[in-house]
Amino acid sequence: MTDRFIRNGLPGLLAVAAASLLVTSGYAGNLIIWVAVAAALASSLRFVLLIGELNFSVAAFFGLGAYTSGVTTTIWELPFWLSLLASGGVALLVSMVFGFVTLRVKGPYFLLIGFAFTEALRILYTRSEWLGGNSGMVGIFPPEALSDRFPTFVVLTVGAMILVLALIERSHLGRIFTAIRDNDNVVRSVGIPVHLTKVLCFCIASFMTGVAGALQAFSNNVISPLDFSFLLSTFALAYLKVGGEGHPGGPILGAVILVLLASVAQGFGGAEHIFYGAAIVISVLFLPSGLMGLAARLCRRGARPGVARAAGDL
Amino acid sequence: MPSTTSVVDQLLVAQHLSKRFGGLLAVADMSMEVRKREIVGLIGSNGAGKSTTFNLLSGFLPPSGGRLYIDGQDMTGRTPEAISRRGLVRTFQHGSLMRSMTVEENILIGAIGGMPKAGRKARDARVREMAELVGLQKALRETAGNLPHGMQRLLSIAIAFAPRPRLLCLDEPLTGLNQAEVAIVLAMFGHIRDAYGSSILLVEHNMKAVMQTCDRIYVLHHGKLLATGTPAEIRENQQVLSAYLGNTNAH
Repeated sequence: MTDRFIRNGLPGLLAVAAASLLVTSGYAGNLIIWVAVAAALASSLRFVLLIGELNFSVAAFFGLGAYTSGVTTTIWELPFWLSLLASGGVALLVSMVFGFVTLRVKGPYFLLIGFAFTEALRILYTRSEWLGGNSGMVGIFPPEALSDRFPTFVVLTVGAMILVLALIERSHLGRIFTAIRDNDNVVRSVGIPVHLTKVLCFCIASFMTGVAGALQAFSNNVISPLDFSFLLSTFALAYLKVGGEGHPGGPILGAVILVLLASVAQGFGGAEHIFYGAAIVISVLFLPSGLMGLAARLCRRGARPGVARAAGDL
Repeated sequence: MPSTTSVVDQLLVAQHLSKRFGGLLAVADMSMEVRKREIVGLIGSNGAGKSTTFNLLSGFLPPSGGRLYIDGQDMTGRTPEAISRRGLVRTFQHGSLMRSMTVEENILIGAIGGMPKAGRKARDARVREMAELVGLQKALRETAGNLPHGMQRLLSIAIAFAPRPRLLCLDEPLTGLNQAEVAIVLAMFGHIRDAYGSSILLVEHNMKAVMQTCDRIYVLHHGKLLATGTPAEIRENQQVLSAYLGNTNAH
């Protein structure tokens, strides 16, 4: 399944990027960026789920990336590329320390620590004059050359990162991640350093989250502490659950559907959260493996008569 | 201090290992050794401390006292990963496999553990070799959790032996196997020793199999070593007969 995702991924990504060229700015452009950033968040969440941990600190690293791009662009005036890289790098470095300390606990404990870390960082931003306090930072612009084509740039960057995650998932390292989720004692008993491997998985995901945070900051031009509450982690989980976590395409599908739904719902007066809630309830109750799981089931059902016919012809 | 020769010549040397859980002394003053190319049995009734001993030897529990040497090196208090890389790999009594992964991927995890720097080809070759060793070469694409019980046991041995440990520690590998499967596994133990030169330490309740296969046997009783010797010696040992074997024969 992952193999096909990787094979079709690059042409698919280029097609989407080409299509996004038609949309240069305005609301449609912003919508494309939101979908891409949401897909990045959900893919990052899914990646850490490979080792069996629900990473609720994903919002924290998204915020770290966004604030790093804010500081490097508006205060230090570093070039865009360096700022983007620094955003991923800061998220990676912090996640290395955070993961090393916290990944010794599992399940609900890890989730709660992630939640606490997210809120702690958010309060830190509000208390810091340097980071603009409650009102946040303004004037985070991408370079002139990119500003017209920023949706396309975001789609390409996020798409490339998602493809890299899929490649890692398919590699032997990815097999170790899944094995740790299934039975970490066996992995330990054959001599694989389980803790460091978990930290590595967490760092890779956090780098991507940090870059996604920077892309969001560059697209909005403005960031404020309230953008990076734990709700963001909950949304990421919603994208993942609706799309389906068993396939790397799941988080993308979930992000497309929920972000578009929310955008429609915003017309009803800001009640879009109801749609997230309903989508989660429906997918948990009726689609345990998400829309991708449903699609796989339908494909199999569709394929079966075909196979029978082919066999009958012989 | 031990004489240095004993530590160097033996694959595994445990000296006066003990483990205390609060007020309970689960293992007390446990000394044992495993030589190269030896199949050693560790027996005892339920609660005798066999599993705790296994956890102490493999580093999954730090000892409260005593020392542990593997292949001449002091490994006391080291992590399971370090002990595994030193050449001791164990299985677990309950669930020694990754249930959602295929047989091939399961064995691959063992191969990666044993060859962290090797390429894909070398690891794949090791996977095939191990699958053939335990007779699972036709089930490589099956999901491990869907295999029948006997094949799951075989798979857990394949995973544990894939890093090619010098000492393979198996926690009740014969439980739930039928007679034909037991015969296959026992023959495999002989092959592992003869063809690969590895030693095996076995926790097992199947007395017939233990007596038939092991070169030496340690008997644990209430956390203490009750007796040690060849199967013939253990069979004659009055203490063992009254404490353990007597009960089994009565059934």
